[in-house]
Amino acid sequence: MAKTSSKDSSKKKKKNNTKNKLNVPNSVAMKNKVPKENLFESIWSRRKFDILGKKRKDEERRRVGLSRSLAIQKRQKTLLKEYEGSTKSSVFVDKRIGEQNDGLEEFDKAILRSQRERQLKLKKKSKYNLSDGEDDDFDNEDGYFAGRDDFDDEGPLDEDELDASDKNSTFGQLDPREVEDGLRSLEGQENRHKSKKEVMEDIIFKSKFFKAEKAKEKEENEKFMEQLDKDFASIDWSEALLSLTQPNKVNKSTSSDNAKKDEIYTVQNKISSQQEEPDDYDKLVGQMALDMRARPSDRTKTPEELAQEEKERLEKLEEERHKRMIAADDSSNEDDDISEDDDKSGKRPTHISGDDLGDSFSNDVISKTKMDLIGKILAQENANDSEDSASSEESENEDEDDDNEDDDEEGSGEDRSGDEKTRSSLKDWEQSDDDDIDTEFEDEEDDASGDADDEGIKDDCLDKQNSRDRKKDSSGADKVKTTLEENSHKKGELPYIIEAPKTFEELSDLLENRSDDQIVEAIRRIRTFNAISIAAENRKKIQVFYGLLLQYFAVSANKRPLNLKLLNLLVKPLMEMSTEIPYFAAICARQRLLRTRTQFSEAIRDTGKSCWPSMKTLLLLRLWSMIFPCSDFRHAVMTPAMLLMSEYLMRCPITSGRDIAIGSFLCSMVLSISRQSQKFCPEVITFIQTMLMAALKNRQGNEDSQLCHLMEVKSLKPLLRMQGHIEKINPLDFMLLMDLPDDSPYFSSDNFRASLLFTIIETLKGFANIYEGFKSFPEIFMPIRKLLLELAEDDLVPDALKVEIEDVTKHIENKSQENHLLRQPLRMRKPKIIRTAIPKFEESFVKGRDYDPDRERAERKKLKNRLKQEAKGAVRELRKDNYFLSEVKQRDKARMVEEKNEIYGKYRAFLQEQEHAFKSGQLGKGKGKKRRR
Amino acid sequence: MGRAYKLKGQKRKKREDKYDKGEELEELNEKKAKTEVLVADKEEEKLEPVIDEMPGIPMVEVTTNDNKPGVTFVIEKASLEIGKVGKSYQLLSSDEHASYLLKNKRNPADYRPDIAFQAIQTILDSRVNKSGRLKALYVRTQLGILFEIKPHARMPRTYKRFAGLMVQLLQKLHITASGKGEKLLRVIKNPVTKYLPINSRKIGFSHSSEKLVDMYDYVGTINSELDLVFVVGAMSHGKIEKEYVEDYISISEFPMSAAYCISIITTAVERKWRIL
Repeated sequence: MAKTSSKDSSKKKKKNNTKNKLNVPNSVAMKNKVPKENLFESIWSRRKFDILGKKRKDEERRRVGLSRSLAIQKRQKTLLKEYEGSTKSSVFVDKRIGEQNDGLEEFDKAILRSQRERQLKLKKKSKYNLSDGEDDDFDNEDGYFAGRDDFDDEGPLDEDELDASDKNSTFGQLDPREVEDGLRSLEGQENRHKSKKEVMEDIIFKSKFFKAEKAKEKEENEKFMEQLDKDFASIDWSEALLSLTQPNKVNKSTSSDNAKKDEIYTVQNKISSQQEEPDDYDKLVGQMALDMRARPSDRTKTPEELAQEEKERLEKLEEERHKRMIAADDSSNEDDDISEDDDKSGKRPTHISGDDLGDSFSNDVISKTKMDLIGKILAQENANDSEDSASSEESENEDEDDDNEDDDEEGSGEDRSGDEKTRSSLKDWEQSDDDDIDTEFEDEEDDASGDADDEGIKDDCLDKQNSRDRKKDSSGADKVKTTLEENSHKKGELPYIIEAPKTFEELSDLLENRSDDQIVEAIRRIRTFNAISIAAENRKKIQVFYGLLLQYFAVSANKRPLNLKLLNLLVKPLMEMSTEIPYFAAICARQRLLRTRTQFSEAIRDTGKSCWPSMKTLLLLRLWSMIFPCSDFRHAVMTPAMLLMSEYLMRCPITSGRDIAIGSFLCSMVLSISRQSQKFCPEVITFIQTMLMAALKNRQGNEDSQLCHLMEVKSLKPLLRMQGHIEKINPLDFMLLMDLPDDSPYFSSDNFRASLLFTIIETLKGFANIYEGFKSFPEIFMPIRKLLLELAEDDLVPDALKVEIEDVTKHIENKSQENHLLRQPLRMRKPKIIRTAIPKFEESFVKGRDYDPDRERAERKKLKNRLKQEAKGAVRELRKDNYFLSEVKQRDKARMVEEKNEIYGKYRAFLQEQEHAFKSGQLGKGKGKKRRR
Repeated sequence: MGRAYKLKGQKRKKREDKYDKGEELEELNEKKAKTEVLVADKEEEKLEPVIDEMPGIPMVEVTTNDNKPGVTFVIEKASLEIGKVGKSYQLLSSDEHASYLLKNKRNPADYRPDIAFQAIQTILDSRVNKSGRLKALYVRTQLGILFEIKPHARMPRTYKRFAGLMVQLLQKLHITASGKGEKLLRVIKNPVTKYLPINSRKIGFSHSSEKLVDMYDYVGTINSELDLVFVVGAMSHGKIEKEYVEDYISISEFPMSAAYCISIITTAVERKWRIL
């Protein structure tokens, strides 16, 4: 360390040569050379994580060696001085002018001092001071006339210094720096003096000019204002202003306008003369005033309005029809006064020509219908209501009677429904009536439970009751009406306006003996005339009508020569209407389902009887599957319908070929329903399986299959087993099959069996397609596959069927293989994904900034850090100071020891010499020699 | 006098204890990797009888990744360098700072942080990582700064955010997880060899290598109890140094991007270890 310090100090030499002599012993050798650069100082500390483009703030600090040497230098200036002065009682303070400033040279210092001296002389204070030579001398001594030594004054120097410090304040003896500044500033002022004056003059001149200009402007403005005021006063009195403020009045007084126009013009001229010319804006305003206003286009019509229009159109057509009717009867009578007479006279002939019944009532009825036409339906209903209230008891009784009848018939007759189809229409009629009542109950229940549209339903019930009451009550009247309509039917013409029928009789009368197209048209007209969007009460009418139509559908489904075309046509209006009144439609469907279910469960109790659903039920189920969404997870109608179908498939005993046909029809229906929802229906699969088993030769092999353990084994006759070869598979006509009697030979024919097998396999294919996504696909279909394989081996099975069977088996195999492949082994737990953590970072990070959202905390942290840093710094500095001091002390000590040793050695040598001389006997000889040296 | 001395001694002792604990924790973490391999064999032996003890129920082995050998990736020569552009610090890339780089007399073609970004993403997205078999990921930049990315760090998916993360990492030298204090990324001391598992096979990749192999076959030949260390370069030109690499191979006849190379490696490893 001593070495380096010595080198450091050698570096110092550059700056102050005076110290070199004192400190460095070997400086003499190096004096002449250029001071050698310390290699340690040139070393840069390694830059860690250098960043391109970043500027280093203090480059000096980066050089460790240099900064160390700098620190040592600083200590030598400060700490060392203090240390040296610590043992001394007094200090020498150099306060000579220019001595503090390192940059000045000796000559400059001298100049400064002389200047200072002269200034002091010029000052007033020193005016009266007698200039004794001593003073002058003293000053000169300070300066470069340093001829005299002040060694003599050494004693009282301290006092002088104190005095001097006092003088600083009293004599105004300035700090040397201040003096310098003052001098400089003086020089600057002299240079600027003239220019400043000029500038000031300039400024004054300018400000004056501006003031004058301002005043001028103000004056002009005032003048202009005055003129404007005058002009305004002239306008104020004229009509022109009035016309502007109150245009209406002016318009009224257009006549006088012309007269006054001149005046206005003059005024306007005046204005324009001031404003030079009319603005573009004014022109535009004028033009726009003349422009046409935009007109609103016809708005698009709402559905209600459209319905209303349609209704009106029908009314018009009806009126025309009536006119024509009249014209046919009494053509030339009264063409002109149709308006009033037409109603009565127009109907009268029809009466006369009409049926036997109810002549007296006819007028009323017609008037009523007319009123309907006019659109006072509400009033009519009110009237009906009042009637109803009067005769409500009676109607109730009648209702009850009806119920009883129904019950009776149900109890006994339903069972026979399969056989006695002839009666079924009547029965169904009754049944449907009963249905209606049921719906009423349902409604009431709903009311009790407090469903959403309470009031609507109540109204509903009331209305329905009313309608029924009305029917019972004024049956005569209605009958008259129907007869009237019948008349028109006979003419083969439909009325354009048809009031919604309120009973099934009405409807059946209306639709009887009509062609299919006419029926559809009639329904359409009823619907348009009673469209829900027209009037609120139409909703109830339509609801009733819907019930009736459904009933009509059911009845016609049970008719023996099945009119499939009509049924198909009926589907469309039924579907449309159920979208209009979904709630009611659902209730109807549910009630019917409930009834069929109860009938079915009763029927199945009597074993041995066929309880497969009738044609009506099948068709209704089909209809509902079309009306209601099949894909819903849970639906008010479709879910029970599905359950019912499954129950049929499960519980009905299969005894005949037709049972199988119905079953396979149900299967295909379930297929169509569950195609979208992909619900699994095990009953269907089991049914198909049993059917296939029925087709096999020997069923013993399959008895022990898994399935048979789980469910009751049905003893099946080999109903479907092929007996002989057939060439062709004909598609089955389901309707035809339903008509055939149970013991028809067709059911045991090979043709029938083959085609039935074909359909079953088709259905199976469909199910295999639907369920291919199921995890349990192999388990569901593999047993069936086995059956199919066995079936395919049978020689009697026709080739077309074989192909089909192979197709299905292949499909099943492929799919189950796929499913097997997809299956994953069972494990205790799934492999875990490692939990990830999101790194936290700022969008634009700057080092050193605290990104703590809490300001205070960040601030506190910053302060703490700073405190720590400072404390560390202080400790470090102190340590270095100590080290430095100890080094100095050590050096001193070393020097002392050296000196001591030298002296010791000297004496020792002297003594040794003496001793040597003494011993050798050459006393004084060597000694003398030495001394001389 | 004696008492005071005694007190002093106790205090000192306590302090030392604390200090030691802190040290120990760190040491443990470092040692863990080393000891793992040794412990692995013993623990596997212990596990096997447990599986056999349960009859009747077919089971897949309970996967505990701690004992299994893992993969370590080292991305060499990643050009991740930040510069002060204007007033802000940015991750230098050739397409954004071309003129700036030219001004500073650098070759813009060398600044391709996107390569490293892709490579890191491919590694962390791989099934090897998802299944917990990626032990560590080290990235060494062209300037020689080495940093570690924890396998469970969810790196930003977009380049821009990645750049932001790198800027912060290279200034702050570590990135913590949000919420916790765990350091997900941190700059560590060179050389990388002192962090690699002891019983490991260190494989370097270069197109320039003479040894052209099929990656899957190659991985198959390696002893399955060895840890694997893959060293891949993420630079646009040049090749990695092969100082600590034991095997220096080429896996394709064509020069490939780092990300694709890594994906080949990971798929090969996944196939070997049957990670699906």
